[in-house]
Amino acid sequence: MDTNVVGKGLPKFDAWPKAKGKIIYADDFSMPGMLYAKVLRSQHPAANILAVDTSQAKALPGVFAVLTAEDVLNNNLRAKFGQSTDVGAQFEGLYRVLAEKKIRFFGEAIALVAATSEKLAEEAIGLIEVTYEPLPGVFDPIEALQPGAYCVGESDNNVISRFKIRKGDVAEAFKTADIVIENTFRVPFSDHAYLEPESGVAWIDENEVITIRASTQVIEHFRTVAEVLGVPHNQVRVIGTWVGGGFGGKEDITVETFLALLTWKTRRPVKLTFTREESLLAHGKRHSFIIKHKLGATKDGLLVAAETELVADAGAYIYLSPWVLLYSTVNAVGPYNIPNVKVDTVAVLTNNPFGSAFRGFGAIQPNFAYESQIDELGRTLGIDPLTIRQKNCLHQGDALATGVTYDRYVALSDAAEKAWQALGPKRSSNSKNVKIGHGLAIGMMSYGRLTFLHDTSRSYVKIELDGSVLVRCGIPDLGAGQAQALCQIVGEELGVPQEKIKIYISDTALTPLAGTSTATRQLYMSGNATLKAAAAVRERLLTKAAMMLNTDKANLKLLNEKIVDVTNQDTSLSLKAVVGQCSTDGDELYSEAQFNAPFTDVPISEQITGQIFADFTFGAYAVAVAVDVETGAVTLERIIACFDIGKAINILNVEGQLEGGGLMSVGYALSENLIVEQGYLKSRSYREYLLPTAADVPDIETILIESGSGIGPYGAKGVGEPSGNAIAPAITNAICDAVGARVTTLPATPERVFFTMFPRS
Amino acid sequence: MSDYYYVAPTSVGESLKILHQSDSKIRIAAGCTNIMPDLKNKKNTDSVFMDISGLEELRGIQSDDNIIRIGALTTMNQILHSEVIEQGATALHQACRHFADPLVRNRATVGGNLANASPAADSVVPLFVLNAFVTVESMENGKREIPLADFLVAPGKSVLGPDDLITAVSFSKDTGVKSCFIKFGLRKAMAISVISIGVALKLDDHTVTDIRIALGSVAPTPIRARQTESYLTGREISPEVIKRAMEMVKSEITPISDIRASKEYRTHLAGILLRRAVEGALIEGGDIV
Amino acid sequence: MNFEKDVAIKVNINGIEIRSTVAAAESLLEFLRKHSETVDVKCGCSQGDCGTCTVVFEGQTVKSCLVLAAQANTKEIWTLKGLEKDPLMQKLQESFVRHGAVQCGFCTPGMLVAARGFLENNPNPDRAGIRDALSGNLCRCTGYQKIVDAVWTVASEKASERV
Repeated sequence: MDTNVVGKGLPKFDAWPKAKGKIIYADDFSMPGMLYAKVLRSQHPAANILAVDTSQAKALPGVFAVLTAEDVLNNNLRAKFGQSTDVGAQFEGLYRVLAEKKIRFFGEAIALVAATSEKLAEEAIGLIEVTYEPLPGVFDPIEALQPGAYCVGESDNNVISRFKIRKGDVAEAFKTADIVIENTFRVPFSDHAYLEPESGVAWIDENEVITIRASTQVIEHFRTVAEVLGVPHNQVRVIGTWVGGGFGGKEDITVETFLALLTWKTRRPVKLTFTREESLLAHGKRHSFIIKHKLGATKDGLLVAAETELVADAGAYIYLSPWVLLYSTVNAVGPYNIPNVKVDTVAVLTNNPFGSAFRGFGAIQPNFAYESQIDELGRTLGIDPLTIRQKNCLHQGDALATGVTYDRYVALSDAAEKAWQALGPKRSSNSKNVKIGHGLAIGMMSYGRLTFLHDTSRSYVKIELDGSVLVRCGIPDLGAGQAQALCQIVGEELGVPQEKIKIYISDTALTPLAGTSTATRQLYMSGNATLKAAAAVRERLLTKAAMMLNTDKANLKLLNEKIVDVTNQDTSLSLKAVVGQCSTDGDELYSEAQFNAPFTDVPISEQITGQIFADFTFGAYAVAVAVDVETGAVTLERIIACFDIGKAINILNVEGQLEGGGLMSVGYALSENLIVEQGYLKSRSYREYLLPTAADVPDIETILIESGSGIGPYGAKGVGEPSGNAIAPAITNAICDAVGARVTTLPATPERVFFTMFPRS
Repeated sequence: MSDYYYVAPTSVGESLKILHQSDSKIRIAAGCTNIMPDLKNKKNTDSVFMDISGLEELRGIQSDDNIIRIGALTTMNQILHSEVIEQGATALHQACRHFADPLVRNRATVGGNLANASPAADSVVPLFVLNAFVTVESMENGKREIPLADFLVAPGKSVLGPDDLITAVSFSKDTGVKSCFIKFGLRKAMAISVISIGVALKLDDHTVTDIRIALGSVAPTPIRARQTESYLTGREISPEVIKRAMEMVKSEITPISDIRASKEYRTHLAGILLRRAVEGALIEGGDIV
Repeated sequence: MNFEKDVAIKVNINGIEIRSTVAAAESLLEFLRKHSETVDVKCGCSQGDCGTCTVVFEGQTVKSCLVLAAQANTKEIWTLKGLEKDPLMQKLQESFVRHGAVQCGFCTPGMLVAARGFLENNPNPDRAGIRDALSGNLCRCTGYQKIVDAVWTVASEKASERV
């Protein structure tokens, strides 16, 4: 399909203001009379709170509020698994604003303070006396599963949810398999570590509306905030700022409820910004998993059976764990044709930091396991990494393990081949201490939310009298170019240059709600909603122009602010003239459109069959590494990403997602070690939690496949999360290729690689 | 809440007077690259910041016939870009190349790195093998030259008294010395060393006439591997000799297991990096692992 | 000499002389962010681990969270906004925008100031040199790829101008 604006690598309209330092991020904003908030956090991972004495803190001059759980009208909320409207909350599970009676994790919020300065607020926090009765707690998910284990929550066991997949008969199949590969994989907690810590300012407007200006991926939390305070939903307004990185960490409520409570109490504007250490404590983590994976195949390398058990450490509160677990279930054996499959998954409460949303959302963990396993299979049979995958991977028309047939193009084979061939031959090492390895891995990940959540999005497009355009959409922009993509779509549909399109985003009162910037859904959902709205406006303009030109509407096209007759280039009208006529005639020069994802029912059984997702993105990573065999240090020499992105709306943004997502998982694979010991976070800042620096990584090469087979606008697919898939196993596969030892626990730090090569006696 | 105070003396003499006369706990501030994190993490116990960053007389690298003298306020970047150091103290040059990151290097001073007395101090290890001595001044005791070997006492603790000010660090010039520094960190910048090693040696043909070996992050302070040094002195370099030295150095260190590495891994690395540092010194111009 | 709890300072920020009083233990970053004109200097960690607070201080690129505000007395500080008329900064900004090196933008001010300082003193770097120069500035969005491309382009263009 030929497009004029869509597909171009145009700089985002927000790039210049960001490059000039003009963006007012959440913490850059202030109001007159503003107070500063601080949060008192638990010093124990598991404890009873026997008493909280706030009297001294309250008495400190300059302190305007000290709040605990008893000051919160609805401190405990419950949400259900299938609930789609209140997207951040828990499931049949508890969402608790401030700790009451029992502490469940280190850093859990106990009290809030608002004072005239940050220093005073900190001083007041220091004056709050909490009497704890430490409890034994449980910090290992396997232990937490045992009968009689310490109960983290209020129920009598720690299981949050279980899912399973059953296909064929694995027991029989393993008996007849020529080869069986069995391993246990462990992946750690990870942190999003976005450069911008959580932050916001709240105030009460002239209409008693609690207004929260915050850095968030989800403005729909206004509903939860309203319920916590016991006010109607329309009495809370969330204005989302340009977000300094989200990746799932700003998907749950972070500062919003605290701010609302404090501003409601003090009647003054309040600012709350987390420190880096607080950010690491306060928001959810990528779930740590223990994955047992058993793969059976013929001697020709055809898969016959896969059996896998996944245990997710969900940490202290339920949050999004059931959904993450469902993703991990559907993705458990990967995008392969396997006639016999047995999957069992469980998410368990512990007194560790709570797990919630993080780029990859339960798909990335099993990906590490299944791509390591298939690699090991190929290695054992003497079949190269590309061939073993091409023999077994899904193609168009094949069925997933859940029984759903996938009817669109599957680029796995193509992407794997392109990425692998781009690596070329292995360079020879010029040192006997350095071994070179090449690794390949493929990945499949959904874009769009779970279909039983009945996802929708809305967008509003209006054309001004002079032909310029205004767009309103609730979409939060996290930096991936969410808003820019909508402008390019509108520009394509209406033939208006980008400079004449302005968009307003992320305001629950003033922009149509577009749903969360999560689950790689915005381009798909809001892109389609915007396309629909723009197309509706376009149709009205073309209808009017056809009348004005007395010609067939089918011949007319909107291009460069004109309506042109494609059969007769001399026949045209200016866009402005047509708009003028529409206005005179009383036509509506705007449209608000809603786009619905496919709707399915909430799964009622633990056994998962049927459609869970709307669509998937397929891709591959090929990696070249140099391993220092005396130290275990791994140097990445080349990284090649090849993904079918359907259709690039903006080439720069798509490449940016692959490069950024790839690098995020480089950290996951090699250096990011979120160390939690007995519930205490040892990796407490950027000094201990090591993100890769620019000096640690090579150039990342991207190869795009545009199959046009996506269900997003113009056949686009989402790439934000899929981009992080597959690179971690590609790296450990490359290490194995280099030194013949397979790292099955991440991160593959030099020490881990070394002791994998040379196990401690 | 503690109160903090600030003072900015305009001369070394004034600084010494303040240190001598005041009862308050004074922290000497220059690059502040350790002070600010300490303040933030509530690890700072001093109440007065005495800012000596304006004392130009403490900046700069001087080289005469016998001695290279680095003023205490000289930054890591200044040391890195000094030709005198690149030519005459390769190990120190290499240490500065990988110290923290380029922005921190614009502020971090060699005096501050010494005073901070971290067991991982990246400038201390090369200075150690250069047989450096620290010039310390105080009003009562005047100017003293303290060998680096005697300067560090425990993690975060040096022999500096409350009245003392580091004014310079110096080492003898010796064109016969070849040196090398290797840092092993968990990433290529902004990394606290898992282990670091410096080697300085002199050869007569293939025989070692003089060798100094220092290691960081494997003991309460950076240490010299004296036994290994003594073993290698007078010996001809050969694979067997190096192998023996690698085992010996491992027995001279007392690493701990911490968030960055286990003691077994550090011990293993000590041997490997000793060999590599010796090789690096021999070819002069090695790099970090 | 007096020990001062609150220190009077006179500092030139982006070409404008400002008189103020700072607390003895206040950081330069805290001081800069109090002034609405300089909130382009970001706070990511407050302990020198991320680089979002990078500024030019007496001609050197430094992390402002690692400087005592009192040390700014009589000094000259330039932040991203103040450098908007600087030709090299303009080239870098344009290159960043054109290459797609700006995603969430939070690391961008610090990254640009660090890159500019590097190119000013290193007009002919290689790509590895650029990566080293920016190794004190973390980015979580871009994977550094387009940032390095953007700086490399400016360096290459400058090199060809000199020929």
